[in-house]
Amino acid sequence: MARRFLTPYSTAPARLARALRGGGLALLSLTHALAADSPTPEQFEFFENRIRPVLASECYQCHSHDAKKLKGNLLLDSREGFLRGGDSGPALVPGDPDASLLIKAVRYKDQESAMPPKKRLRDDQIADFEAWVRMGSPWPESAAAPLTATAAKDYDWAKLRAEHWAFRPMQRPSPPSVFLTAWPRNPIDHFVLARLEAANLTPSPPAAPAALIRRAYLDLIGLPPSPEALNAFLQDSSPEAFEKVVDHLLASPQYGQRWGRHWLDVARYSDGLGGYLDAAPLPEAWRYRDWVVDALNRDLPYDQFVRQQIAGDLLSEDRADGLATGFFAVGPTYNTDGGDPEAEAQTRAETLADRVDTFSRAFLGLTVACARCHDHKFDPITARDYYALAGIFNNTATSHLPIAPREVVEAFDRAQAAIQGQEKKIKSASEPGGDPSQVPNLQAELERLRQAAPPAYPKAHMFADSGNSDLPVAIRGDLRKPGEPAPRRFLQIVAGENPTLFKEGSGRRQLAAAVIDPTNPLTARVMVNRVWKHHFGQALARTPSNFGILGEKPTHPELLDWLATTFIDQGWSLKKLHRLILLSATWRSGSHYRAQAFTQDGENRLLWRMNPRPLEVESWRDSLLAVTGELDPALHGPPSDRILEDKRRTLYGTISRNGDRHPSDEFLRLFDFPTPRSTSETRAASTVPQQYLFMLNSAFMIQRAQALTDRLQREAPDDPTRIARAYQLLYSRLPRPQEIELGLTFLADTASGAPASRWPSYAQVLLSAHEFRQIQ
Amino acid sequence: MQFHQHQAAFRRHAQTSSRRDFLQRLGAGMGSIGLASVLQPLRSLAASPDVPLLPRGPHFAPRAKRVIQLFMPGGPSQVDTFDYKPLLAKHAGERPEVVNRKTLRNTKNGLMPSPFAFQQYGQSGKWVSDIFPHVGQCADDISFIHSMHTNIPEHAGAMMMMNVGALQPNRPSMGAWLVYGLGTENQNLPGFVAMSPRAQPRGTLANWGNAFLPGSHAGSYVNIAEMKPDALMRDLNNSRLPAPEQRRQVDLLAQLNQQHLAALERDQDLEASISALEMAFRMQASVPDVFDISQESQATRDLYGDSEFGKGCLLSRRLIEQGVRVVQLSLSIDGYDIAWDTGHDNIADGHAKLAKACDQGIAALIHDLKARGLFDDTLLVWGGEFGRAPTSEGAKGRDHDHFGYTTWLAGGGVKRGFTYGATDEFGCSAVENRVHVHDLHATILHLMGLDHERLTYRFSGRDYRLTDVAGHVVHDLLA
Repeated sequence: MARRFLTPYSTAPARLARALRGGGLALLSLTHALAADSPTPEQFEFFENRIRPVLASECYQCHSHDAKKLKGNLLLDSREGFLRGGDSGPALVPGDPDASLLIKAVRYKDQESAMPPKKRLRDDQIADFEAWVRMGSPWPESAAAPLTATAAKDYDWAKLRAEHWAFRPMQRPSPPSVFLTAWPRNPIDHFVLARLEAANLTPSPPAAPAALIRRAYLDLIGLPPSPEALNAFLQDSSPEAFEKVVDHLLASPQYGQRWGRHWLDVARYSDGLGGYLDAAPLPEAWRYRDWVVDALNRDLPYDQFVRQQIAGDLLSEDRADGLATGFFAVGPTYNTDGGDPEAEAQTRAETLADRVDTFSRAFLGLTVACARCHDHKFDPITARDYYALAGIFNNTATSHLPIAPREVVEAFDRAQAAIQGQEKKIKSASEPGGDPSQVPNLQAELERLRQAAPPAYPKAHMFADSGNSDLPVAIRGDLRKPGEPAPRRFLQIVAGENPTLFKEGSGRRQLAAAVIDPTNPLTARVMVNRVWKHHFGQALARTPSNFGILGEKPTHPELLDWLATTFIDQGWSLKKLHRLILLSATWRSGSHYRAQAFTQDGENRLLWRMNPRPLEVESWRDSLLAVTGELDPALHGPPSDRILEDKRRTLYGTISRNGDRHPSDEFLRLFDFPTPRSTSETRAASTVPQQYLFMLNSAFMIQRAQALTDRLQREAPDDPTRIARAYQLLYSRLPRPQEIELGLTFLADTASGAPASRWPSYAQVLLSAHEFRQIQ
Repeated sequence: MQFHQHQAAFRRHAQTSSRRDFLQRLGAGMGSIGLASVLQPLRSLAASPDVPLLPRGPHFAPRAKRVIQLFMPGGPSQVDTFDYKPLLAKHAGERPEVVNRKTLRNTKNGLMPSPFAFQQYGQSGKWVSDIFPHVGQCADDISFIHSMHTNIPEHAGAMMMMNVGALQPNRPSMGAWLVYGLGTENQNLPGFVAMSPRAQPRGTLANWGNAFLPGSHAGSYVNIAEMKPDALMRDLNNSRLPAPEQRRQVDLLAQLNQQHLAALERDQDLEASISALEMAFRMQASVPDVFDISQESQATRDLYGDSEFGKGCLLSRRLIEQGVRVVQLSLSIDGYDIAWDTGHDNIADGHAKLAKACDQGIAALIHDLKARGLFDDTLLVWGGEFGRAPTSEGAKGRDHDHFGYTTWLAGGGVKRGFTYGATDEFGCSAVENRVHVHDLHATILHLMGLDHERLTYRFSGRDYRLTDVAGHVVHDLLA
């Protein structure tokens, strides 16, 4: 598998190089053997390794489509160009070096035709050119050539679009009819039930009211309901009782904190502080984090949400609108420490790869970055597509810029300039030759200026346009080896054979428009699929950031399309989408095990029950603080690198890109927080002993256990009621009699010389229990 | 200290309580629920994706079962250590075409002889610099590769190449790949331990990171200058509870989890969760235990010597003896993250000091592994991210040289007293049997029973390998 996938590029050229080092005989036999037939991969390799790089570095400045000023009407960026030739006639006679102008030029025999003009090529390079002409000048261009960087010509786009589900236009299927007509609450249920019935399965009975409300709280705001909220719901017998809870939760600011974090996984959000080559801190990355939380809380339509993150800085005069482009700016921007050309090219290439990768997987569910060195091996994505997008980001600078209105910035700058001017005056007055008697007056004026100066304005990490040029395809991903031009545009599989070229500045504005175009078959599908995943634990298409050929097909393709089109019809409103899903009978199903259904569909692909699933680390920690009554509901602000000592939600912990800088990182990593080096589509759910060491021994857990103990002592008079209260607070249910018994036995057992009160020990066990860490 | 009392108590407990005892205690308190289900034959955990560290079979019979990487960050000079070039003295000051290559700082000086004398050792008659007298004594146990080369002469990128197989830090480290491929033998210890005295090697976590592999494959780092076991693993001890009390707590928690999970019928989670909890309890004893080198005899401690790196070598042996799969021990003195880079200014001073810091410990490790019968299936890898030029930088130093340098292997599955490949006559570039870092990685994986082309991980739509799209096993090195 791996072999088929990863073409071992290195082997063929190495073999060839050895053959060449072996001397003229080997070379002769190579050229001889191959001249008669069509070019072989080894010949193309020879061209790619020995000829193309020299053409690119020595000739293309004057003799390519990218040349600022074409010299001698000669284009050397295709075989046709050589054959057509320029003002002096054809540059090449394949098979005959001595008759080829190219060879004459590089041999530097006469002053007139000598090329390159500044410096003769090395002897071995000239020998390579001679050998190449003798071979018949193989130039890989067709799709059949394995090592061509791109072979876009041979893609049948219409066919490819029709073949793969994700590229087909979205349909608006009608909800199918079902037998069990009493079960569905909305069209979602028709799609789900029709498949269950086709498989002879029945949906699970609805979750019990207490379990349901706990699930809704954890799902939408990441915190369990208080016993009071729980009881109020249980006593509300109106048919809209559950609907009211859902609306209440969606209107709560804690919704943005919970769901914003899901998006921050996709945005590979960090506060900078990566490894050695991307170590810079991003001291104001948190402003982007707050923007995400606010955008979700005010239900910013998803198309606008996307548009602002790609091109917010270009959409209005208001600089604060650029804040959303922090989506890109919080990612790694690599540098190099020695100025080695290969390292320089690599760091730039790697930064661009981050942008293209994050952009394409996050918004489109496509792995465009796989086409960085060659056409995508599986998906209809060409290297030209990659460089068409990379070109956009290559014209974009990642900067730390003011987000205040221009006037505010200017006023600040003016005041600072005045203060500096005044300081200078004081300095020259105090120096020899000055007039020291003026100093007190000048000092007083300085003080006045300082008082009057406006406070520093906020800044943020964001994008700004820095150019307006295309990036050529880089041969095998090496930016030092330019190949054919790749004008900036959208992906051909979506935008068609002749996509509009992007020429406005970097092209980001046009890129954003292409992403949110309602005819784009990917954007809405990708987002509703992500939302579904966070409501059910599993997405409909189980690889949310890869809708390509190697991604998983959706379990319910019609439902996905129905949701996506409904999403667009409802104005791309995420809150309406949540509401639709939560009010379905499917979402309200119980999560209990059913032997027959489990045997038939153990993975629950048909959604016969709600998937029980672990709570993410953020919600787990937040819930720990909530049940002890210690949670700080703050909504904005700079992060804390010691989140375990902070009482704000876990969202506000400092995140370093490698996950290795701070105690908060270490804690998050332990519980499967993804390393934010690249966009993340799903969280792992590991079980390792170190997690239990944290629960058993960490100061954080010991403190929470004490806080819970204190709270229970305050709120309930005796051990049995304290236990009952604890179960309500932590698990949203009352304890079973045997559980009370178990607790009382533990509390009473002091035989081992335990501390006078065993409550903190007991509370710690309850807080560490699996039930507390699960959405059921 | 209270900590030690705790440890003693835990050790007693860990020794007396078997897993079955634990399960029986668990069952006894559980009433009607699930005693049978807990005591029924345990499912094969190897199938569980949630227990990623269990031992797994290699692709083919391994020659080595574990790796100790003795990492020399900063670029040790080949011509001053193991790649003897007597011609340097004869041509001192000259700059023959063969060494006229662009080093990092583009130095233009002539050849500089080594300030150190060389001697021949053992039956192999290997020439070794006088700064490595102890390692010289072991020359007959070592395979020297003089024809290493790498991509760039910059520390950060080249260190990444050496330790993660790519110039950029966003790929899994070699140790993480090995643990991913083979699991680890001791579930009470991490599978991959990275250590250094003083400074972490430049690039820090990336050198032992997991990147996109599951988090449990990352190396656990410990700073051995401090020798604190709780630095290896956070929250390793409870400041409040005596061991028996915590035992009760653990039992109650296991019981509650058992009841909860039984209702959902997710055996795999249950089993993983119960064993992880039990392991956590035991780790509190096993981790401090393995770090307690006072348990070694005085003779053994003397063998390794007093240097911090020497203690690290002893600790490496203790770790692999306990079933740790990969140890990466990096040299650092004076808190410098690229220790050997002192060579820019002064080879004579810097290299002598650095060699002294590690020579005895390395030789002791080889002797000790042999004495314990571990040498035959433990692979040692010594080397840095590149070497240093035979020409001089300033009056006494040498610039980086990535065109040719020396790395050596010893132990599991490699030839003994063997030299492979060669640099040119002055030691500048690898010219014979060249070995790229990818080839070295392919060979290390091969020795561990893994095919570097089959050890893949699907991430963001692509299958990744330690060796990217390159690498050839150097079969001539294999015994």
